[in-house]
Amino acid sequence: MTHYSSRFSLVPVGTGSFSPSRTPASASEIKDFLAFALGEEHYALPLSSIREIMKLPYITEVPLAPANVIGIISVRGRVTTLIDMRRLLSMSELQPTSKSRVLLVSKGDEVIGLLVDRVLQVYRLTDNEIETASTMGGEQAAYVTGIGRPALARKGEVIPENGQQNARFREQLAQTVDDSIGVEILILLDPDTLLQM
Amino acid sequence: MVDRKDKGEGIREEFIAEAQELIEGLSRDLLVLDHAQQQNAVDPETVNNLFRGVHTLKGLAGMFGFSKLGQLAHRIEDLLEDLRLGRVVLNQSVLDILFEGVDTFQRLLAEAKNPEEIAEVDIEHFERSIKALAVNQKSSSDIIAEYEIDPGVIAVLTEYETHRLRTNLSQGITVYRLHLRLSLDVIDTVLKQLKERGRKVAEIITYLPSMSVGPDEMIDIDVLLASNSPESELIKVLDQSESVLSVIQRRTPHVPPPAPTVTIPEKRDAQPVGAAIEKSDEPSGDGFAIADRAGDPLSLRSVMNTVRVDIRKLDHLMNAVGELGIVRGALGRALEKMRDVPGLNTLTGELRRIHRSFERCLIDVQDDVFDVRMVPLGHFFNKLGRIVRQVARENVKEVRMVVSGSETEVDKLIAEELADPLMHIVRNAIDHGIESPSERESRGKPIAGTLAINAYQKGNHVVVEVQDDGRGIDPKRIKQAAIDKEILSKEQLDEMSTSELLDVIFLPGLSTAESVSDISGRGIGMDVVKTNLARLGGMIELHSEVGVGTKFTITLPITLAIISALVVEVAGRTFAIPLSTIQEAIKLDPRAIRTMEGREILTLRGTTLPICRLADRFGFSRETKRSRQFVVVVVHGARRLGFVVDKLRGQQDIVIKSLAPSLQGTRGIAGATDLGDQRLVLVLDAPTLLDEFAATSRTNLLQESLS
Ligand SMILES: Nc1ncnc2c1ncn2[C@@H]1O[C@H](COP(=O)(O)OP(=O)(O)O)[C@@H](O)[C@H]1O
Ligand SMILES: [Mg+2]
Repeated sequence: MTHYSSRFSLVPVGTGSFSPSRTPASASEIKDFLAFALGEEHYALPLSSIREIMKLPYITEVPLAPANVIGIISVRGRVTTLIDMRRLLSMSELQPTSKSRVLLVSKGDEVIGLLVDRVLQVYRLTDNEIETASTMGGEQAAYVTGIGRPALARKGEVIPENGQQNARFREQLAQTVDDSIGVEILILLDPDTLLQM
Repeated sequence: MVDRKDKGEGIREEFIAEAQELIEGLSRDLLVLDHAQQQNAVDPETVNNLFRGVHTLKGLAGMFGFSKLGQLAHRIEDLLEDLRLGRVVLNQSVLDILFEGVDTFQRLLAEAKNPEEIAEVDIEHFERSIKALAVNQKSSSDIIAEYEIDPGVIAVLTEYETHRLRTNLSQGITVYRLHLRLSLDVIDTVLKQLKERGRKVAEIITYLPSMSVGPDEMIDIDVLLASNSPESELIKVLDQSESVLSVIQRRTPHVPPPAPTVTIPEKRDAQPVGAAIEKSDEPSGDGFAIADRAGDPLSLRSVMNTVRVDIRKLDHLMNAVGELGIVRGALGRALEKMRDVPGLNTLTGELRRIHRSFERCLIDVQDDVFDVRMVPLGHFFNKLGRIVRQVARENVKEVRMVVSGSETEVDKLIAEELADPLMHIVRNAIDHGIESPSERESRGKPIAGTLAINAYQKGNHVVVEVQDDGRGIDPKRIKQAAIDKEILSKEQLDEMSTSELLDVIFLPGLSTAESVSDISGRGIGMDVVKTNLARLGGMIELHSEVGVGTKFTITLPITLAIISALVVEVAGRTFAIPLSTIQEAIKLDPRAIRTMEGREILTLRGTTLPICRLADRFGFSRETKRSRQFVVVVVHGARRLGFVVDKLRGQQDIVIKSLAPSLQGTRGIAGATDLGDQRLVLVLDAPTLLDEFAATSRTNLLQESLS
């Protein structure tokens, strides 16, 4: 038999592109985040919750769909629902630009696309850099798990090879990261609560 | 097809090279055959090989316009076909004709190389000698008749199987019948094991399963096999519980064949399922029961219950079932009308019950028809094997094909649609992937490249993987080719990740091949793959590593929800409307629109047709008044409604994919389809839209009357 190098072995035979299953991790274990921008605000989702990053494909509008849904897209033949993060977080709408990206995340058996303005970079946050929602004063939405405060403006954070994502994903990430933006505050989101809405 | 003026010389060269190789292959195979014939040990595969070689040569000649060669190949092909199917027995005079044929191929090829060297060929001479053969051999009586095999069995054997049976018998090889009774839930695995083990000791001629399943969920299967191994050995290898192995005996010359009654072989311990079978008093040999061909059809059941069906008949059946669906709809509408007729209550109730049970039966029939249409991918992989051999030979490469999962079943239509994509992928693996033997050797790879094809079922999908251990796809070369062929700009390509670059091979026109033939080098292969698969609602993934190999993974639905649809445009968006719900489509005459109680209506052939502007319905801002619009008249039950659309784009067969769970509640949308350009188009759920339209207009009316 042939010996395939790591790029192969990461995509086990018999599992589709959406193979990596998310292992539920407790909040304290989640350290790697993918940061993205919506306008001037910076958000982050646990890196392990993201399966793929895509450039904007052709979007088919679905009339009479729920308000947060922009439409459907074809992800390698699969009909995938696309949600506008701006609408979801009650922000004003914006025409997609060339920087717009779709993050594919899973919700139960389904894979859902989230449209964001731009993808920033991966942050590996230490416990000291995370202020959990429970210790924060004031009212936050249920989907906010905390605030990340990267101690230093970091560049080119390592992209972990922890096997959670496949090679395709790591490549997509390498292509998209934009570490030119200094981030002071990251709003950390919980994907499950977010997608309940 | 071929632009002879432009590259006539190149094409001719190419033809000559390919034909030369084929003819050399033929003469090698022919020598093998000649030798085997003298040893009386002919391997049927050799004849099959020859047949394929000549067949390919014929195709090649036709493609490049060498008609004389083509005609001769056609004659020889016919002869080989007769040989393959045992219509003609292989002997020295047949071999003479074949040798002469290959010789003539050579001379014709020499003529093609150098048109001054005119080859004298008398095609009719070949035709005459081939005919003479057939006549000479006709007289030999059929050996099969001398053995105790049920005519009902013989009637269902394919010509090839009959031939194998005959050959084995005439070579004095013992033919056995193995009778099995298997429970439905283990049948697949047991048969598979049997095939694997059996192959080592015997040639399996055919399997004849009974179609009906007994109340105990058991199924009877008869296997015909030929073997020189001692019976005890066979029993050891093939033994299953409830299996009976018996030798097919030669009829004793003076005793007439047993009387045409049904007999049950005595060794058989399990009783047949059919009730009308009686035990015969006459002693029966150990062979197949002899059944009366003209007798009670039930009586045949004990030996033979499989029917082979032309797939076209299944298509007809499928259409007929579709028609029944329409009838059901019409019945429903008639019932609807009856309800309003006073004095028909009892009758209507009765009819409604009948209608409901009709509906249930129809659903069962639909399911069954779908089931019958499932075919194993194996047949189809065999065909691929032939392509692999042919392409490998054309390319002077050594390729080992490894297939697994042949038993995986898909709808016959999917299998058909899969043919072209797989052919291109396999061809590419050999054309572009697997290196020449010398190159492989220098890279420390095994000389023969491996092409692995693996199929398996995964939920409602079938996955087919094609993997080669060739040189892989080099993103740099793809990039260069895309720039050279002006498919994408350098700027676009610079922006792309490695996997995006790999995906560029799916674009039409992209090729890294240096030479162009009809099938390869034009860069159309992968485009065909992508488009066909998208149409089927399938998807393809690609992984490749330079120097190591390439793997394509195709995922397809097991059955298709293929429907005919009318593709329309509304406010710049495209929609598909299932044809089954459409009565007609007409041009909208704006002056003919009237309003009635706030709703727009048209008068169509004397009846009122309410119309619904889809753009308004879906909340699309209406474009500046269009000059020309159309009305698509949909029917559901007794209701009719005209959808106003901007453009009719024509009828198309589409595959409906359902929306993801998050959108499944969306009313009025039945699903989405990909028309082949990676853009999804929504499929309208006309009945729901119609019902909702009726409901909203009723509430409107109600509200109006209240205010
Ligand atoms: N199995 C494979 N191994 C290496 N390269 C491949 C393989 N399959 C496809 N390719 C690449 O994809 C290109 C496009 O393939 P295709 O569309 O079939 O065009 P063509 O075969 O005419 O070149 C090929 O030229 C080749 O570079
Ligand atoms: Mg090709």
